[in-house]
Amino acid sequence: MEILRTEKLEKTYQDNGLPVHAIKGIDLGIGKGEFLVIAGPSGSGKTTLLNLLGALDKPTNGKVFFENEDLTQKDKNGLSSLRLHKLGFIFQAYNLIPVLSAIENIEFSMMLLGIPESERENKALSLMEELGIKDLAHKRPNEMSGGQQQRVAVARAIVNNPTVVLADEPTANLDSVTAGHLLDLMEQMNKDKNITFIFSSHDKQVMDRAKRLLILKDGIIEKS
Amino acid sequence: MLIKLAWRNIWRNRRRSLIVLTSVVVGLVAIVISDGLSNGMIGQMLFNQINLNISHIQIHKKGFNNNKTVKNFISDYKKVDEVLKDDSSIKSYSKRVFITGILSSANNSSGVNIYGIDPEQEAKVSIIKNSMIEGSYLTKNKRDIIIGKKLAEKLEVEVGDKVVAMANTLKGNIGSEVFRVVGIFKTASSEFDKTAIYIPAGTEQNMLNIGDKYYEYAIITKDYGKVDETQKYLEAKLGNSFEVLSYKDLLPMLIYQIELYKETMWILNVIIGLALIFGIINSMLMSVFERIREFGVLMSIGMKNSRIYLMIVTEAFIIGIVGTIVGIVVGLLLEIPLAHTGIDLSFFSSGLEAFGIGTVIYPVLSIGNIIMSSIFMPFVAILGALYPAYKAIKLEPIYAIYYV
Repeated sequence: MEILRTEKLEKTYQDNGLPVHAIKGIDLGIGKGEFLVIAGPSGSGKTTLLNLLGALDKPTNGKVFFENEDLTQKDKNGLSSLRLHKLGFIFQAYNLIPVLSAIENIEFSMMLLGIPESERENKALSLMEELGIKDLAHKRPNEMSGGQQQRVAVARAIVNNPTVVLADEPTANLDSVTAGHLLDLMEQMNKDKNITFIFSSHDKQVMDRAKRLLILKDGIIEKS
Repeated sequence: MLIKLAWRNIWRNRRRSLIVLTSVVVGLVAIVISDGLSNGMIGQMLFNQINLNISHIQIHKKGFNNNKTVKNFISDYKKVDEVLKDDSSIKSYSKRVFITGILSSANNSSGVNIYGIDPEQEAKVSIIKNSMIEGSYLTKNKRDIIIGKKLAEKLEVEVGDKVVAMANTLKGNIGSEVFRVVGIFKTASSEFDKTAIYIPAGTEQNMLNIGDKYYEYAIITKDYGKVDETQKYLEAKLGNSFEVLSYKDLLPMLIYQIELYKETMWILNVIIGLALIFGIINSMLMSVFERIREFGVLMSIGMKNSRIYLMIVTEAFIIGIVGTIVGIVVGLLLEIPLAHTGIDLSFFSSGLEAFGIGTVIYPVLSIGNIIMSSIFMPFVAILGALYPAYKAIKLEPIYAIYYV
């Protein structure tokens, strides 16, 4: 069953007044529980495609369907709600909230869902234990290493049990050993919780773990 | 958690937040102090006028206040005495013979308001007895006179010197009497000191040929707040041949001035508020622009624009609340000692005395104004945050996340 689907998806940017066709009519279907990597050289459009799939960006033409619902028809609040309930994001630069501790960063998206404080704390601590970062609970992002921050980011992305996690170059700033551990973790989450993972990456280690690999070149799928 | 996040966001740039906070505190201290001073000045102006000669309520023959001639005396003063003695809301009263005339010395002469009084009665309604700076207050001696310091300077007289008072009599002649200056007073009003003189009531009655009649009753009520009630009661009891006037009727300009002062205070508050708004807008805009990427992250994890808006406004509101609390505490710490010692503005003494204020101003705290300021400043802070918050929610998530 496809949870994400695109139809003739196009995205064109304006760069100094000149159109840049980042995505050129992509038709794609992604099933539940996939561990998909979108790879390709720099400028191939993989991050743009990931952002379109995650409803962070709007297509110039074409449609994105999430669970058969057309995302291009949703308003800002509708998209926020979708991201809160169904999607999780992991960024290359971790992007944790610097003034919140690790546990508070994880609890934050639960707070947005209106989950009571005690329940939030228990759930966050339990997940942190599962990811081996419980002892970082009260540390702020600037007190943690890159790998530790990315693990907290993973915890934040999956804490609300999303259907899909979108990860943009999640290992780009990590050494290979740390990146390996992080991928192990995400593979485990994919296996245990049946969460769909969609990566944008040109890291060989990530591509090697892919259950499905898409090679993007100049805004079109070269190999699937 | 939103409040916790807002609080921590405030302190991520400690110096900038402290500058904004300080501006709120300084603004609030300025409001508290200027408000206290204004209240003090208004209060003193009113207090001085009431306690010098106006009192809370005056009773005259109908029409006297607009036409202070010798003929307009109160014929049936015994009726007034009876009514006043029966009214439990009245603390004290003084009967006055009042006429305008001329006071002359060997060196000069000047137009004056001649108050013929019973010294003991008058001491219960006015502060004139306590305002003596040379010599003594009036006694039973019928040739005694007390005059203001400014008048003494103009006439070049001292305690012990002789002066002559003249005024039109009931028969149309000029009546005059010789007096010896027994005392010189100085009040907060230089104008009053220049024009008022006090002599025994009996002497003035003889000088004007009016028998035992009086022109004016000056009344002090027990409760200042119930003057209007007492006025209405006396009007009803005395009937149409008398005029019963409260200090508000007798001092229309001062009452207007007090209203004007209050309006001016509001204008000052608005000016301070406007200055603060621009400081807060600037600071919050800087804070928003520094956190563009973070807003992108918050949007990506599903935080709705309304909550982002609320978070930024909450940050400004917290600054407003903290600034208000600190500002009021600092303002009170400065003002409470000044309320006891007063602020000596003798540098401006001539101007202040012309207004009947006095040279030492005692700030008066107004709980109502403090409450209004407590609401005003956080409100100003919220207003200052509206535009920066609007800018934040207008960001597109994709632009914000990859903003460098």
